[in-house]
Amino acid sequence: MSGHGLTGLSPWSRRVVAVGVFLWCLITVFPLYWVVVTAFKTPPGVVGGPTYLPFIDFTPTLQPFIDLYQGIRGEFFRTFLNSTIVGLSAAAIATAIGAMAAYALVRFEFKVRLGAGLVFFVLALGGYLLFNATFGFTRPQALLLAFPIALVAAVVANRLPLPGPILGNEDILFWFVSQRMFPPIVTAFALYLLYSEIGRLGFQLIDSFVGLTLCYVAFSLPIVVWLMRDFFEAVPIEVEEAAMVDNVPSWRIFFGIVVPMSMNGLLATFMITLAFVWNEFLFALFLTNSRWQTLPILVAGQNSQRGDEWWAISAAALVAIVPMMIMAGLLSRMMRSGLLLGAIK
Amino acid sequence: MMRNDPIKHVFIWPAVLVVLAISIFPLIYSLTTSFLSYRLIPPIPPRVVWLGNYSTLLQEPRFWSALFTTTLIAFIAVALQYAIGFGVALALNARVPGERLFRVALLLPMLLAPVAVALVARMMFNPTMGPLNQFLSQFGLVNLPFLTNGHWALACIIAVEVWQWTPFVILMMLAGLQTLPEDVYEAAELENASAWQQFWGITFPMLLPISAAIVFIRLIESYKIMDTVFVMTGGGPGVDTETLTLFAYQEGFKKFNLGYTSALSFLFLIAITIIGVAYLALLRPHLEKRR
Repeated sequence: MSGHGLTGLSPWSRRVVAVGVFLWCLITVFPLYWVVVTAFKTPPGVVGGPTYLPFIDFTPTLQPFIDLYQGIRGEFFRTFLNSTIVGLSAAAIATAIGAMAAYALVRFEFKVRLGAGLVFFVLALGGYLLFNATFGFTRPQALLLAFPIALVAAVVANRLPLPGPILGNEDILFWFVSQRMFPPIVTAFALYLLYSEIGRLGFQLIDSFVGLTLCYVAFSLPIVVWLMRDFFEAVPIEVEEAAMVDNVPSWRIFFGIVVPMSMNGLLATFMITLAFVWNEFLFALFLTNSRWQTLPILVAGQNSQRGDEWWAISAAALVAIVPMMIMAGLLSRMMRSGLLLGAIK
Repeated sequence: MMRNDPIKHVFIWPAVLVVLAISIFPLIYSLTTSFLSYRLIPPIPPRVVWLGNYSTLLQEPRFWSALFTTTLIAFIAVALQYAIGFGVALALNARVPGERLFRVALLLPMLLAPVAVALVARMMFNPTMGPLNQFLSQFGLVNLPFLTNGHWALACIIAVEVWQWTPFVILMMLAGLQTLPEDVYEAAELENASAWQQFWGITFPMLLPISAAIVFIRLIESYKIMDTVFVMTGGGPGVDTETLTLFAYQEGFKKFNLGYTSALSFLFLIAITIIGVAYLALLRPHLEKRR
């Protein structure tokens, strides 16, 4: 790490740059400071105009937090618990299966025929229409029937010498990452319809732990695969080759050697995924309504429920923000060791 | 080295299955729904209208205004994020005094929930009780209509987007700056190139691929903007700040007009694909020249 780029500048212009960065830092920190102090204000302390310094400008109080805990402004405690449970499990599952997929894409060779992909899509779409329109199955039933048929047909088709290009690991990776490009509203809305029709068949997915977690796992997988691939590529191949000479099976190489060696990367990926899920709003808005509501929904609702009660709104926002503040501290410590460098190469 | 071992299927299939199930299912589902006239309230049996929903949408001024608003927010916000983020990253990389202190603080915003950030923004922009009002009233600008005037509201949303996502650009550009080779700069120093020349001659072109990727990611993500707007203005005043996602939400969740909303989300998908492909096509010659 070196200081090029600005080395040619005079001490005076260095000072200007420092002031500029400091200014940006101030802009970044001030709103955060503001929400922290406002959360400890009493109602008169807010309405009387902006005040900045606790004990000097106003007398701090814990009342907003007590109100929150007592559930006066919605069931904060349970919602916090929901967010924690869903966030931790979705991040853990996504990191686990995403890391496995990323490892497979780094170390093993895959060949998928474009023809097989087309077979899958055509059969899934056609099968769905056929089952729904001709045989009179309900829409989710038709989908659930068409999906495995299309999948099996595609796997078989992949073995046949179909014409057309053969896709490799890079293309599979691109497919994973491109899922992020999807506007989530497309998925969220369709998932809502699908979940509610599956619910009519007797298996509740809307406002349930399984439904929400499943959706978040899928939603985080592209990022996990993308990040973890870089971490695994950084693992020296010689270690694995040595293990292979000793006839250690692949799964033991992965769990016994590769995973411990990329623990830092896994942790960072887990935390980034957790942050995504913790903050996510749109899916939670569509897929939950009471029991499994997450924090962002409740926090967003504070606004309209009671008007401009800033002390309480600040306390609510703070509850959603503080866990991520702690994570930012942890992440930035990891980053100092150049951890995320590999991720963008 | 690539190994070939049947166990690879065990490794990759769980992820592929989950992503396929959660992306292909809804895709097929909403694609087929978008050709139907299908409402839940009042409940009418679905009727095939083929491209009817699409043509209604394309004639709907509200759709075009949402598309325009989203594009405006995305492009302006990303341009500002990139400019500020690049500048701050350069300064941090040059070891500006106090640089270590800044790092955690500069990272924070991108990890916070957009909903909470938007709430904080509402407080900051409050026309009577907010600190920004107090600050500006010292310059004689009292009670500005931050969120109640269409243009101001748009500017405020862009400001919040910039506040929240510039850290991402800083983070990525900083990582990129640290990969640059030292010797090129030493050679430039020998040639007596000024800092300005060094930036345009070396730093900027060498970081172009990373910059392109960062701008691409931010642009795509910005097009999905919803939570910030939802909390800050709710799309108002009127529909002045309504974005595509918010429009789709209003149509789908408030009016339960399923076919229409599916068509809308597909048009959204098409728009984002066009923008993505156009961006990559425009950039490709520049990226390849540098290699």
